Amino acid sequence: MSDPRHDWRPLVGDLAERRARALEMGGADRVARQRELGKLTVRERLDLLLDPGTWVEYALLADHMDAGLGDRYLAADGAITGIGEIDGRPVAVAAYDFTVMAGSMGGVGESKIARLRAHALSQRMPFVWLLDSAGARIQSTSGSTFAGAGALFREQVAMSGVVPMVAAMLGHCAAGTAYIPGLADFVPMVKGTSSMALGGRHLVKAAVGEDVTEEEMGGSAVHTKISGCADLEVADDAECLRIVRQYLSFFPQHNGLQPPRRATSDPADRRTEELYDIVPTAPRRAYDMRKVVTAIVDDGDVLWMKPEWAKNLVTALARIDGQPVGVVANQPMVLGGALDVNAADKAARFVWLCDAFNVPLVFLHDVPGFIVGSAVEKQGIIRHGAKMLFAVSEATVPKISVILRKSYGAGYFVMNGLAYEADYIVAWPTAEIALMGPDGAVNIIHRRVLEAIEDEEERKAKRLELAEEIRANIDPYIAAGHAQLDDVIDPAETRAAIARGLRVSADKRVDRPARKHGVLPV
Amino acid sequence: MHEIKAEIAANVWQVVVEEGQMVAEGDEICILESMKMEIPVITEVPGVVRELHVAPEQTVQEGDLIALIDES
Repeated sequence: MSDPRHDWRPLVGDLAERRARALEMGGADRVARQRELGKLTVRERLDLLLDPGTWVEYALLADHMDAGLGDRYLAADGAITGIGEIDGRPVAVAAYDFTVMAGSMGGVGESKIARLRAHALSQRMPFVWLLDSAGARIQSTSGSTFAGAGALFREQVAMSGVVPMVAAMLGHCAAGTAYIPGLADFVPMVKGTSSMALGGRHLVKAAVGEDVTEEEMGGSAVHTKISGCADLEVADDAECLRIVRQYLSFFPQHNGLQPPRRATSDPADRRTEELYDIVPTAPRRAYDMRKVVTAIVDDGDVLWMKPEWAKNLVTALARIDGQPVGVVANQPMVLGGALDVNAADKAARFVWLCDAFNVPLVFLHDVPGFIVGSAVEKQGIIRHGAKMLFAVSEATVPKISVILRKSYGAGYFVMNGLAYEADYIVAWPTAEIALMGPDGAVNIIHRRVLEAIEDEEERKAKRLELAEEIRANIDPYIAAGHAQLDDVIDPAETRAAIARGLRVSADKRVDRPARKHGVLPV
Repeated sequence: MHEIKAEIAANVWQVVVEEGQMVAEGDEICILESMKMEIPVITEVPGVVRELHVAPEQTVQEGDLIALIDES
Protein backbone atom coordinates (compact mmCIF):
# COMPACT_ATOMS: atom_id res chain seq x y z
CA MET A 1 0.00 0.00 0.00
CA SER A 2 1.37 3.41 -0.87
CA ASP A 3 1.07 6.23 1.58
CA PRO A 4 -1.76 8.58 0.35
CA ARG A 5 0.25 11.58 1.56
CA HIS A 6 2.92 10.62 -0.99
CA ASP A 7 0.81 9.69 -4.00
CA TRP A 8 2.61 11.03 -7.08
CA ARG A 9 0.33 9.23 -9.51
CA PRO A 10 -2.19 12.05 -10.11
CA LEU A 11 0.65 14.53 -10.55
CA VAL A 12 2.69 12.56 -13.05
CA GLY A 13 -0.53 11.38 -14.69
CA ASP A 14 -1.63 14.98 -15.22
CA LEU A 15 1.78 15.86 -16.66
CA ALA A 16 1.63 12.90 -19.03
CA GLU A 17 -1.84 13.97 -20.19
CA ARG A 18 -0.68 17.52 -20.84
CA ARG A 19 2.26 16.29 -22.88
CA ALA A 20 0.10 13.86 -24.83
CA ARG A 21 -2.40 16.61 -25.59
CA ALA A 22 0.37 18.87 -26.92
CA LEU A 23 1.63 16.08 -29.17
CA GLU A 24 -1.84 15.76 -30.71
CA MET A 25 -1.11 19.13 -32.34
CA GLY A 26 -4.26 20.80 -33.73
CA GLY A 27 -6.38 17.66 -33.26
CA ALA A 28 -7.24 14.66 -35.43
CA ASP A 29 -9.31 16.60 -38.00
CA ARG A 30 -6.69 19.20 -38.69
CA VAL A 31 -3.93 16.58 -38.82
CA ALA A 32 -6.00 14.62 -41.36
CA ARG A 33 -6.45 17.81 -43.40
CA GLN A 34 -2.67 18.42 -43.30
CA ARG A 35 -2.10 14.94 -44.76
CA GLU A 36 -4.81 15.46 -47.43
CA LEU A 37 -2.84 18.48 -48.61
CA GLY A 38 0.14 16.16 -49.19
CA LYS A 39 2.05 17.57 -46.24
CA LEU A 40 3.63 15.81 -43.27
CA THR A 41 2.84 16.88 -39.72
CA VAL A 42 5.34 18.99 -37.87
CA ARG A 43 6.30 16.00 -35.68
CA GLU A 44 6.92 13.77 -38.71
CA ARG A 45 9.06 16.50 -40.22
CA LEU A 46 11.25 16.68 -37.11
CA ASP A 47 11.69 12.89 -37.22
CA LEU A 48 12.93 13.05 -40.82
CA LEU A 49 15.18 16.07 -40.29
CA LEU A 50 17.03 14.93 -37.18
CA ASP A 51 19.14 11.99 -36.05
CA PRO A 52 16.88 9.55 -34.13
CA GLY A 53 16.57 10.15 -30.40
CA THR A 54 18.39 13.50 -30.36
CA TRP A 55 15.46 15.93 -30.07
CA VAL A 56 15.32 18.13 -26.97
CA GLU A 57 12.13 20.16 -27.03
CA TYR A 58 11.74 23.55 -25.40
CA ALA A 59 8.30 24.64 -24.12
CA LEU A 60 6.16 21.79 -25.41
CA LEU A 61 3.65 22.87 -22.76
CA ALA A 62 3.23 26.40 -24.12
CA ASP A 63 -0.24 27.72 -25.00
CA HIS A 64 -1.44 31.04 -26.40
CA MET A 65 -2.15 32.65 -22.96
CA ASP A 66 -4.24 35.27 -24.78
CA ALA A 67 -7.50 36.24 -23.04
CA GLY A 68 -8.88 37.35 -26.39
CA LEU A 69 -8.73 33.79 -27.72
CA GLY A 70 -10.83 32.47 -24.82
CA ASP A 71 -10.35 28.99 -23.45
CA ARG A 72 -9.34 27.29 -26.70
CA TYR A 73 -6.13 25.31 -26.48
CA LEU A 74 -3.29 25.93 -28.96
CA ALA A 75 -0.74 23.12 -28.69
CA ALA A 76 2.77 24.53 -28.13
CA ASP A 77 1.20 27.79 -29.38
CA GLY A 78 1.70 26.49 -32.92
CA ALA A 79 5.48 26.86 -32.86
CA ILE A 80 7.66 23.86 -32.02
CA THR A 81 11.15 24.74 -30.79
CA GLY A 82 14.12 22.70 -29.71
CA ILE A 83 17.58 21.39 -30.45
CA GLY A 84 18.35 18.12 -32.22
CA GLU A 85 21.29 16.70 -34.13
CA ILE A 86 22.12 16.31 -37.80
CA ASP A 87 25.08 13.99 -38.47
CA GLY A 88 25.90 14.22 -34.77
CA ARG A 89 26.03 18.03 -34.64
CA PRO A 90 23.44 20.16 -32.78
CA VAL A 91 20.98 22.27 -34.76
CA ALA A 92 18.28 24.62 -33.45
CA VAL A 93 14.90 24.03 -35.09
CA ALA A 94 11.79 26.23 -35.08
CA ALA A 95 8.87 24.52 -36.78
CA TYR A 96 5.49 26.16 -37.36
CA ASP A 97 2.54 23.81 -36.96
CA PHE A 98 -0.11 24.55 -39.61
CA THR A 99 -2.66 22.39 -37.76
CA VAL A 100 -2.67 24.94 -34.93
CA MET A 101 -4.43 28.10 -36.14
CA ALA A 102 -2.77 27.82 -39.56
CA GLY A 103 0.68 28.04 -37.97
CA SER A 104 0.02 31.71 -37.23
CA MET A 105 2.71 33.60 -35.31
CA GLY A 106 1.38 34.13 -31.77
CA GLY A 107 3.00 35.99 -28.91
CA VAL A 108 4.05 32.94 -26.92
CA GLY A 109 5.24 31.00 -29.98
CA GLU A 110 7.34 33.94 -31.10
CA SER A 111 8.89 34.33 -27.63
CA LYS A 112 9.82 30.62 -27.81
CA ILE A 113 11.52 31.18 -31.15
CA ALA A 114 13.27 34.32 -29.87
CA ARG A 115 14.71 32.27 -27.00
CA LEU A 116 15.87 29.63 -29.47
CA ARG A 117 17.53 32.27 -31.67
CA ALA A 118 19.43 33.48 -28.61
CA HIS A 119 20.52 29.91 -27.84
CA ALA A 120 21.61 29.26 -31.42
CA LEU A 121 23.70 32.42 -31.42
CA SER A 122 25.31 32.02 -27.98
CA GLN A 123 25.82 28.27 -28.41
CA ARG A 124 26.93 28.78 -32.03
CA MET A 125 24.83 26.27 -33.94
CA PRO A 126 22.89 26.37 -37.23
CA PHE A 127 19.24 27.48 -37.15
CA VAL A 128 16.61 25.73 -39.26
CA TRP A 129 13.07 27.04 -39.75
CA LEU A 130 10.41 24.63 -40.98
CA LEU A 131 7.91 27.14 -42.37
CA ASP A 132 4.25 26.30 -42.77
CA SER A 133 2.54 29.41 -41.49
CA ALA A 134 -0.04 31.94 -42.58
CA GLY A 135 2.02 34.73 -40.97
CA ALA A 136 1.12 37.01 -38.06
CA ARG A 137 -1.82 35.97 -35.83
CA ILE A 138 -3.93 38.95 -36.77
CA GLN A 139 -6.57 38.08 -34.15
CA SER A 140 -4.00 38.91 -31.48
CA THR A 141 -1.90 41.63 -33.07
CA SER A 142 -4.16 43.94 -35.05
CA GLY A 143 -3.70 47.05 -32.89
CA SER A 144 -0.88 49.53 -32.56
CA THR A 145 1.04 47.34 -30.13
CA PHE A 146 2.60 46.38 -33.48
CA ALA A 147 4.87 49.35 -32.80
CA GLY A 148 6.96 47.08 -30.58
CA ALA A 149 7.18 44.17 -33.04
CA GLY A 150 9.87 43.16 -35.52
CA ALA A 151 12.82 42.04 -33.38
CA LEU A 152 12.80 38.66 -35.15
CA PHE A 153 14.24 40.08 -38.36
CA ARG A 154 16.85 42.27 -36.68
CA GLU A 155 17.99 39.29 -34.64
CA GLN A 156 18.10 37.15 -37.75
CA VAL A 157 20.35 39.72 -39.41
CA ALA A 158 22.65 39.59 -36.38
CA MET A 159 22.90 35.81 -36.82
CA SER A 160 23.74 36.09 -40.51
CA GLY A 161 27.24 34.88 -41.28
CA VAL A 162 27.74 33.70 -37.68
CA VAL A 163 25.65 30.52 -37.83
CA PRO A 164 24.18 28.87 -40.94
CA MET A 165 20.47 29.61 -41.42
CA VAL A 166 18.07 27.47 -43.44
CA ALA A 167 14.42 28.26 -44.16
CA ALA A 168 12.60 25.20 -45.50
CA MET A 169 9.36 26.20 -47.23
CA LEU A 170 6.77 23.53 -46.44
CA GLY A 171 3.51 25.45 -46.75
CA HIS A 172 1.95 28.70 -47.90
CA CYS A 173 3.78 31.48 -46.08
CA ALA A 174 2.92 35.14 -46.15
CA ALA A 175 4.39 38.38 -44.81
CA GLY A 176 6.30 37.59 -41.59
CA THR A 177 7.11 34.06 -42.63
CA ALA A 178 8.19 35.24 -46.10
CA TYR A 179 10.87 37.60 -44.74
CA ILE A 180 12.41 34.78 -42.69
CA PRO A 181 13.49 32.97 -45.91
CA GLY A 182 14.40 36.37 -47.35
CA LEU A 183 17.09 36.64 -44.68
CA ALA A 184 18.11 32.96 -44.55
CA ASP A 185 21.14 31.45 -46.31
CA PHE A 186 19.39 28.53 -48.00
CA VAL A 187 15.75 28.19 -49.07
CA PRO A 188 14.39 24.93 -50.52
CA MET A 189 10.70 24.96 -51.56
CA VAL A 190 8.31 22.03 -51.90
CA LYS A 191 6.61 22.02 -55.30
CA GLY A 192 2.85 22.51 -55.18
CA THR A 193 2.37 22.90 -51.42
CA SER A 194 4.63 25.80 -50.54
CA SER A 195 4.74 29.47 -51.41
CA MET A 196 6.04 32.74 -50.06
CA ALA A 197 4.72 36.22 -50.66
CA LEU A 198 4.78 39.51 -48.79
CA GLY A 199 0.99 39.57 -48.94
CA GLY A 200 -1.27 36.51 -48.93
CA ARG A 201 -3.96 35.96 -51.56
CA HIS A 202 -6.79 37.71 -49.65
CA LEU A 203 -4.68 40.70 -48.70
CA VAL A 204 -3.51 41.08 -52.31
CA LYS A 205 -7.10 41.02 -53.57
CA ALA A 206 -8.09 43.71 -51.07
CA ALA A 207 -5.00 45.90 -51.44
CA VAL A 208 -4.29 45.89 -55.18
CA GLY A 209 -7.32 44.11 -56.66
CA GLU A 210 -5.25 41.29 -58.17
CA ASP A 211 -6.84 37.84 -58.31
CA VAL A 212 -4.08 35.25 -58.00
CA THR A 213 -3.46 31.96 -56.26
CA GLU A 214 -0.64 31.53 -53.76
CA GLU A 215 1.06 29.23 -56.27
CA GLU A 216 0.89 31.79 -59.12
CA MET A 217 2.14 34.57 -56.90
CA GLY A 218 4.88 32.92 -54.87
CA GLY A 219 5.06 29.20 -55.64
CA SER A 220 8.27 27.29 -56.13
CA ALA A 221 8.23 27.88 -59.90
CA VAL A 222 8.15 31.66 -59.39
CA HIS A 223 10.90 31.77 -56.79
CA THR A 224 13.29 29.14 -58.18
CA LYS A 225 12.98 30.18 -61.86
CA ILE A 226 12.04 33.87 -62.02
CA SER A 227 12.64 35.84 -58.81
CA GLY A 228 15.72 33.98 -57.55
CA CYS A 229 14.42 34.22 -53.95
CA ALA A 230 14.61 30.44 -53.38
CA ASP A 231 17.40 27.96 -54.05
CA LEU A 232 15.80 24.65 -54.95
CA GLU A 233 12.45 23.17 -55.91
CA VAL A 234 11.89 19.77 -54.26
CA ALA A 235 9.18 17.16 -54.80
CA ASP A 236 7.86 16.71 -51.27
CA ASP A 237 8.46 17.25 -47.56
CA ALA A 238 10.74 14.21 -47.24
CA GLU A 239 13.04 15.34 -50.07
CA CYS A 240 13.09 18.85 -48.63
CA LEU A 241 14.27 17.65 -45.21
CA ARG A 242 16.87 15.34 -46.77
CA ILE A 243 18.24 18.30 -48.77
CA VAL A 244 18.48 20.42 -45.60
CA ARG A 245 20.64 17.70 -44.01
CA GLN A 246 22.78 17.51 -47.15
CA TYR A 247 23.19 21.30 -47.33
CA LEU A 248 24.34 21.60 -43.71
CA SER A 249 26.91 18.82 -44.24
CA PHE A 250 29.01 21.32 -46.23
CA PHE A 251 29.09 23.92 -43.45
CA PRO A 252 30.76 24.34 -40.07
CA GLN A 253 28.61 24.90 -36.97
CA HIS A 254 29.61 28.57 -37.01
CA ASN A 255 31.99 31.00 -38.68
CA GLY A 256 34.77 30.27 -36.16
CA LEU A 257 35.20 26.71 -37.42
CA GLN A 258 36.33 25.10 -40.66
CA PRO A 259 33.78 23.11 -42.69
CA PRO A 260 33.92 19.39 -41.93
CA ARG A 261 36.03 17.28 -44.30
CA ARG A 262 34.57 13.98 -45.38
CA ALA A 263 36.74 10.96 -46.15
CA THR A 264 36.44 9.74 -49.74
CA SER A 265 37.80 6.84 -51.75
CA ASP A 266 37.91 9.08 -54.84
CA PRO A 267 41.65 9.84 -55.35
CA ALA A 268 42.62 13.52 -55.28
CA ASP A 269 44.84 12.99 -58.34
CA ARG A 270 42.21 11.08 -60.37
CA ARG A 271 42.71 11.97 -64.05
CA THR A 272 39.62 13.69 -65.51
CA GLU A 273 40.01 12.51 -69.10
CA GLU A 274 36.25 12.68 -69.72
CA LEU A 275 36.77 16.45 -70.00
CA TYR A 276 38.36 15.86 -73.45
CA ASP A 277 34.93 14.72 -74.65
CA ILE A 278 32.85 17.23 -72.72
CA VAL A 279 34.63 20.45 -73.73
CA PRO A 280 35.06 21.31 -77.45
CA THR A 281 38.35 22.97 -78.37
CA ALA A 282 36.47 25.29 -80.78
CA PRO A 283 36.02 28.37 -78.59
CA ARG A 284 32.59 29.32 -79.89
CA ARG A 285 31.03 25.89 -79.43
CA ALA A 286 28.72 25.41 -76.41
CA TYR A 287 28.79 22.55 -73.88
CA ASP A 288 27.25 21.78 -70.50
CA MET A 289 29.49 23.08 -67.71
CA ARG A 290 27.56 21.00 -65.16
CA LYS A 291 29.22 17.92 -66.65
CA VAL A 292 32.62 19.47 -65.99
CA VAL A 293 31.73 20.17 -62.36
CA THR A 294 30.41 16.64 -61.87
CA ALA A 295 33.58 15.18 -63.40
CA ILE A 296 36.03 16.99 -61.13
CA VAL A 297 34.39 16.75 -57.67
CA ASP A 298 34.47 13.82 -55.22
CA ASP A 299 32.29 10.91 -56.36
CA GLY A 300 30.40 13.16 -58.81
CA ASP A 301 28.41 14.37 -55.80
CA VAL A 302 27.05 17.93 -56.25
CA LEU A 303 24.38 20.09 -54.59
CA TRP A 304 23.38 22.66 -57.25
CA MET A 305 22.36 26.04 -55.85
CA LYS A 306 19.68 28.02 -57.71
CA PRO A 307 20.02 25.64 -60.72
CA GLU A 308 16.91 26.95 -62.49
CA TRP A 309 17.64 30.68 -62.17
CA ALA A 310 20.38 32.67 -63.94
CA LYS A 311 21.40 29.47 -65.66
CA ASN A 312 24.27 31.19 -67.51
CA LEU A 313 26.23 30.82 -64.27
CA VAL A 314 26.47 27.62 -62.23
CA THR A 315 26.86 27.65 -58.44
CA ALA A 316 27.28 24.41 -56.53
CA LEU A 317 28.43 22.89 -53.26
CA ALA A 318 30.64 19.83 -53.54
CA ARG A 319 33.87 18.34 -52.15
CA ILE A 320 37.32 17.92 -53.60
CA ASP A 321 39.73 15.63 -51.74
CA GLY A 322 37.16 15.61 -48.91
CA GLN A 323 37.23 19.41 -48.57
CA PRO A 324 33.87 21.21 -48.98
CA VAL A 325 34.07 23.82 -51.76
CA GLY A 326 31.80 26.31 -53.45
CA VAL A 327 32.03 26.12 -57.24
CA VAL A 328 31.33 29.19 -59.40
CA ALA A 329 31.34 28.34 -63.11
CA ASN A 330 30.22 29.94 -66.35
CA GLN A 331 27.70 27.97 -68.40
CA PRO A 332 28.44 28.26 -72.16
CA MET A 333 25.17 26.45 -72.90
CA VAL A 334 23.06 29.41 -71.75
CA LEU A 335 23.59 32.90 -73.24
CA GLY A 336 27.03 31.66 -74.28
CA GLY A 337 28.04 31.90 -70.61
CA ALA A 338 27.95 35.70 -70.79
CA LEU A 339 27.22 37.42 -67.47
CA ASP A 340 24.03 39.41 -66.94
CA VAL A 341 22.46 41.07 -63.89
CA ASN A 342 20.97 37.89 -62.44
CA ALA A 343 24.14 35.83 -62.95
CA ALA A 344 26.20 38.51 -61.16
CA ASP A 345 23.63 38.64 -58.36
CA LYS A 346 23.63 34.85 -57.99
CA ALA A 347 27.43 34.66 -57.96
CA ALA A 348 27.88 37.51 -55.46
CA ARG A 349 25.39 35.99 -53.01
CA PHE A 350 27.00 32.56 -53.29
CA VAL A 351 30.53 33.92 -52.81
CA TRP A 352 29.41 35.84 -49.70
CA LEU A 353 27.78 32.66 -48.37
CA CYS A 354 30.89 30.51 -48.84
CA ASP A 355 33.26 33.18 -47.56
CA ALA A 356 31.17 33.72 -44.41
CA PHE A 357 31.60 30.07 -43.44
CA ASN A 358 35.19 29.41 -44.55
CA VAL A 359 34.19 27.32 -47.57
CA PRO A 360 36.96 27.65 -50.23
CA LEU A 361 35.93 28.78 -53.72
CA VAL A 362 36.70 27.17 -57.06
CA PHE A 363 36.15 29.25 -60.20
CA LEU A 364 35.82 27.61 -63.61
CA HIS A 365 36.20 30.23 -66.34
CA ASP A 366 34.57 30.10 -69.75
CA VAL A 367 33.17 33.56 -70.07
CA PRO A 368 32.96 35.91 -73.05
CA GLY A 369 32.39 38.81 -70.62
CA PHE A 370 29.45 40.82 -69.36
CA ILE A 371 26.61 41.28 -71.82
CA VAL A 372 26.74 44.79 -73.29
CA GLY A 373 24.02 46.96 -74.77
CA SER A 374 21.16 49.24 -73.78
CA ALA A 375 18.95 46.44 -72.41
CA VAL A 376 21.42 45.42 -69.69
CA GLU A 377 22.41 49.01 -68.87
CA LYS A 378 18.76 49.73 -68.04
CA GLN A 379 18.80 46.73 -65.74
CA GLY A 380 21.77 48.17 -63.85
CA ILE A 381 24.48 45.78 -65.05
CA ILE A 382 27.13 48.16 -63.69
CA ARG A 383 25.96 47.91 -60.09
CA HIS A 384 25.27 44.18 -60.36
CA GLY A 385 28.67 43.58 -61.96
CA ALA A 386 30.22 45.74 -59.25
CA LYS A 387 28.50 43.58 -56.64
CA MET A 388 30.19 40.48 -58.03
CA LEU A 389 33.56 42.30 -58.13
CA PHE A 390 32.94 43.35 -54.54
CA ALA A 391 32.10 39.88 -53.27
CA VAL A 392 35.02 38.16 -55.01
CA SER A 393 37.47 40.89 -53.91
CA GLU A 394 36.25 40.70 -50.33
CA ALA A 395 36.41 36.92 -50.01
CA THR A 396 39.37 35.78 -47.91
CA VAL A 397 38.83 32.02 -48.23
CA PRO A 398 41.21 30.01 -50.45
CA LYS A 399 40.33 30.87 -54.07
CA ILE A 400 41.33 28.57 -56.91
CA SER A 401 40.81 29.45 -60.60
CA VAL A 402 40.88 27.27 -63.68
CA ILE A 403 40.57 28.95 -67.08
CA LEU A 404 39.08 26.40 -69.47
CA ARG A 405 38.65 28.50 -72.60
CA LYS A 406 37.56 32.12 -72.78
CA SER A 407 37.98 34.64 -70.00
CA TYR A 408 37.51 38.14 -71.28
CA GLY A 409 37.44 41.60 -69.78
CA ALA A 410 35.75 42.15 -66.43
CA GLY A 411 34.49 38.58 -66.77
CA TYR A 412 38.06 37.46 -66.01
CA PHE A 413 38.22 39.72 -62.94
CA VAL A 414 34.89 38.71 -61.39
CA MET A 415 35.76 35.05 -61.92
CA ASN A 416 38.75 35.55 -59.62
CA GLY A 417 41.57 36.54 -61.93
CA LEU A 418 45.15 36.64 -60.67
CA ALA A 419 44.74 40.15 -59.20
CA TYR A 420 41.84 39.02 -57.00
CA GLU A 421 44.07 37.18 -54.55
CA ALA A 422 43.75 33.91 -56.44
CA ASP A 423 45.73 31.37 -54.45
CA TYR A 424 46.34 29.08 -57.38
CA ILE A 425 45.40 29.93 -60.94
CA VAL A 426 45.90 27.58 -63.86
CA ALA A 427 44.74 27.43 -67.47
CA TRP A 428 44.05 24.82 -70.09
CA PRO A 429 45.96 25.10 -73.41
CA THR A 430 42.68 26.41 -74.91
CA ALA A 431 42.58 29.42 -72.56
CA GLU A 432 42.01 32.87 -74.06
CA ILE A 433 42.59 35.64 -71.54
CA ALA A 434 42.34 39.18 -72.86
CA LEU A 435 40.61 42.51 -72.43
CA MET A 436 38.31 41.55 -75.29
CA GLY A 437 38.07 39.00 -78.10
CA PRO A 438 39.85 39.65 -81.41
CA ASP A 439 36.62 40.12 -83.36
CA GLY A 440 35.60 42.99 -81.10
CA ALA A 441 39.08 44.44 -80.66
CA VAL A 442 39.78 44.65 -84.38
CA ASN A 443 36.93 47.09 -84.94
CA ILE A 444 38.27 49.41 -82.28
CA ILE A 445 42.03 49.17 -82.85
CA HIS A 446 41.82 49.29 -86.64
CA ARG A 447 38.61 51.27 -87.12
CA ARG A 448 40.21 53.98 -89.28
CA VAL A 449 42.10 51.48 -91.44
CA LEU A 450 38.95 49.48 -92.03
CA GLU A 451 36.77 52.53 -92.72
CA ALA A 452 39.21 53.69 -95.36
CA ILE A 453 38.62 50.55 -97.42
CA GLU A 454 35.81 51.21 -99.92
CA ASP A 455 35.19 47.68 -101.19
CA GLU A 456 33.11 45.65 -98.74
CA GLU A 457 34.66 42.26 -99.58
CA GLU A 458 38.15 43.70 -99.32
CA ARG A 459 37.29 45.30 -95.95
CA LYS A 460 35.94 42.00 -94.68
CA ALA A 461 39.13 40.19 -95.69
CA LYS A 462 41.30 42.85 -94.05
CA ARG A 463 39.24 42.65 -90.87
CA LEU A 464 39.78 38.87 -90.71
CA GLU A 465 43.49 39.27 -91.33
CA LEU A 466 43.90 41.90 -88.62
CA ALA A 467 41.78 39.88 -86.19
CA GLU A 468 44.12 36.93 -86.70
CA GLU A 469 47.08 39.16 -85.80
CA ILE A 470 45.35 40.06 -82.55
CA ARG A 471 44.39 36.44 -81.94
CA ALA A 472 48.05 35.42 -82.14
CA ASN A 473 48.68 37.47 -78.98
CA ILE A 474 45.94 35.66 -77.08
CA ASP A 475 47.73 32.58 -75.88
CA PRO A 476 47.98 31.07 -72.38
CA TYR A 477 51.73 30.58 -72.82
CA ILE A 478 52.15 34.36 -73.07
CA ALA A 479 50.38 34.76 -69.69
CA ALA A 480 52.39 31.80 -68.33
CA GLY A 481 55.58 33.38 -69.71
CA HIS A 482 54.85 36.49 -67.66
CA ALA A 483 54.20 34.26 -64.62
CA GLN A 484 50.61 35.50 -64.56
CA LEU A 485 49.44 31.91 -64.49
CA ASP A 486 50.78 29.37 -61.99
CA ASP A 487 50.63 26.63 -64.59
CA VAL A 488 49.14 25.50 -67.87
CA ILE A 489 47.52 22.11 -67.31
CA ASP A 490 46.20 19.16 -69.27
CA PRO A 491 42.39 19.05 -68.78
CA ALA A 492 42.87 15.57 -67.33
CA GLU A 493 44.90 17.18 -64.50
CA THR A 494 42.09 19.56 -63.51
CA ARG A 495 40.91 17.74 -60.39
CA ALA A 496 44.47 17.15 -59.21
CA ALA A 497 45.38 20.81 -59.77
CA ILE A 498 42.40 22.08 -57.78
CA ALA A 499 43.13 19.61 -54.96
CA ARG A 500 46.74 20.83 -54.93
CA GLY A 501 45.67 24.48 -54.80
CA LEU A 502 43.29 23.77 -51.93
CA ARG A 503 45.92 21.89 -49.99
CA VAL A 504 48.58 24.58 -50.17
CA SER A 505 46.20 27.44 -49.34
CA ALA A 506 44.28 25.74 -46.51
CA ASP A 507 45.67 28.04 -43.78
CA LYS A 508 45.30 31.25 -45.76
CA ARG A 509 45.04 34.45 -43.70
CA VAL A 510 44.27 37.84 -45.18
CA ASP A 511 44.46 41.06 -43.16
CA ARG A 512 42.45 44.03 -44.29
CA PRO A 513 42.27 47.57 -42.92
CA ALA A 514 39.67 47.81 -40.15
CA ARG A 515 36.36 49.28 -41.24
CA LYS A 516 32.76 49.06 -40.15
CA HIS A 517 31.79 47.58 -43.49
CA GLY A 518 32.23 48.41 -47.13
CA VAL A 519 29.55 50.24 -49.06
CA LEU A 520 27.94 47.40 -50.95
CA PRO A 521 26.73 47.83 -54.50
CA VAL A 522 23.47 45.84 -54.62
CA MET B 1 1.04 27.72 -79.38
CA HIS B 2 4.42 27.86 -77.67
CA GLU B 3 6.45 31.01 -78.34
CA ILE B 4 10.23 30.85 -78.56
CA LYS B 5 11.85 34.22 -78.02
CA ALA B 6 15.41 35.51 -78.17
CA GLU B 7 17.00 35.75 -74.71
CA ILE B 8 19.75 38.06 -75.90
CA ALA B 9 20.43 40.59 -78.66
CA ALA B 10 22.23 38.55 -81.34
CA ASN B 11 22.90 37.78 -85.00
CA VAL B 12 21.13 34.78 -86.43
CA TRP B 13 23.86 32.42 -87.59
CA GLN B 14 22.01 29.27 -88.66
CA VAL B 15 18.38 28.23 -88.83
CA VAL B 16 18.24 24.51 -88.17
CA VAL B 17 14.56 23.68 -88.77
CA GLU B 18 11.93 24.42 -91.42
CA GLU B 19 8.30 25.41 -91.05
CA GLY B 20 6.09 22.34 -90.72
CA GLN B 21 8.88 20.21 -89.27
CA MET B 22 8.28 18.00 -86.20
CA VAL B 23 10.55 18.77 -83.26
CA ALA B 24 11.17 17.01 -79.95
CA GLU B 25 11.76 18.69 -76.60
CA GLY B 26 15.34 19.98 -76.51
CA ASP B 27 15.77 20.17 -80.31
CA GLU B 28 17.68 23.11 -81.76
CA ILE B 29 15.57 25.64 -83.66
CA CYS B 30 18.37 28.00 -84.65
CA ILE B 31 21.82 29.08 -83.54
CA LEU B 32 22.40 32.69 -82.60
CA GLU B 33 25.74 34.40 -82.48
CA SER B 34 26.36 36.89 -79.73
CA MET B 35 29.11 37.73 -77.27
CA LYS B 36 31.59 35.73 -79.41
CA MET B 37 29.58 32.56 -78.81
CA GLU B 38 27.28 30.24 -80.69
CA ILE B 39 24.10 30.23 -78.67
CA PRO B 40 21.76 27.37 -79.50
CA VAL B 41 18.06 28.15 -79.19
CA ILE B 42 16.13 25.03 -78.24
CA THR B 43 12.46 24.23 -77.88
CA GLU B 44 11.25 23.24 -74.44
CA VAL B 45 8.16 21.56 -75.90
CA PRO B 46 7.69 18.91 -78.61
CA GLY B 47 5.47 19.71 -81.60
CA VAL B 48 5.36 21.17 -85.09
CA VAL B 49 7.19 24.36 -86.13
CA ARG B 50 4.25 26.55 -87.25
CA GLU B 51 6.05 29.82 -87.91
CA LEU B 52 9.70 30.82 -88.23
CA HIS B 53 10.45 34.50 -87.81
CA VAL B 54 14.19 34.50 -88.36
CA ALA B 55 16.64 33.98 -91.23
CA PRO B 56 20.45 33.78 -91.29
CA GLU B 57 22.37 37.08 -91.01
CA GLN B 58 19.34 38.82 -89.52
CA THR B 59 19.67 40.42 -86.08
CA VAL B 60 17.29 39.88 -83.20
CA GLN B 61 16.71 41.90 -80.04
CA GLU B 62 16.07 40.39 -76.61
CA GLY B 63 12.42 39.28 -76.52
CA ASP B 64 11.95 39.05 -80.32
CA LEU B 65 9.85 36.13 -81.51
CA ILE B 66 11.93 33.39 -83.14
CA ALA B 67 9.40 30.62 -83.72
CA LEU B 68 5.94 29.35 -82.86
CA ILE B 69 5.63 25.69 -81.94
CA ASP B 70 2.29 23.92 -82.16
CA GLU B 71 2.62 21.82 -79.02
CA SER B 72 1.78 18.12 -79.42
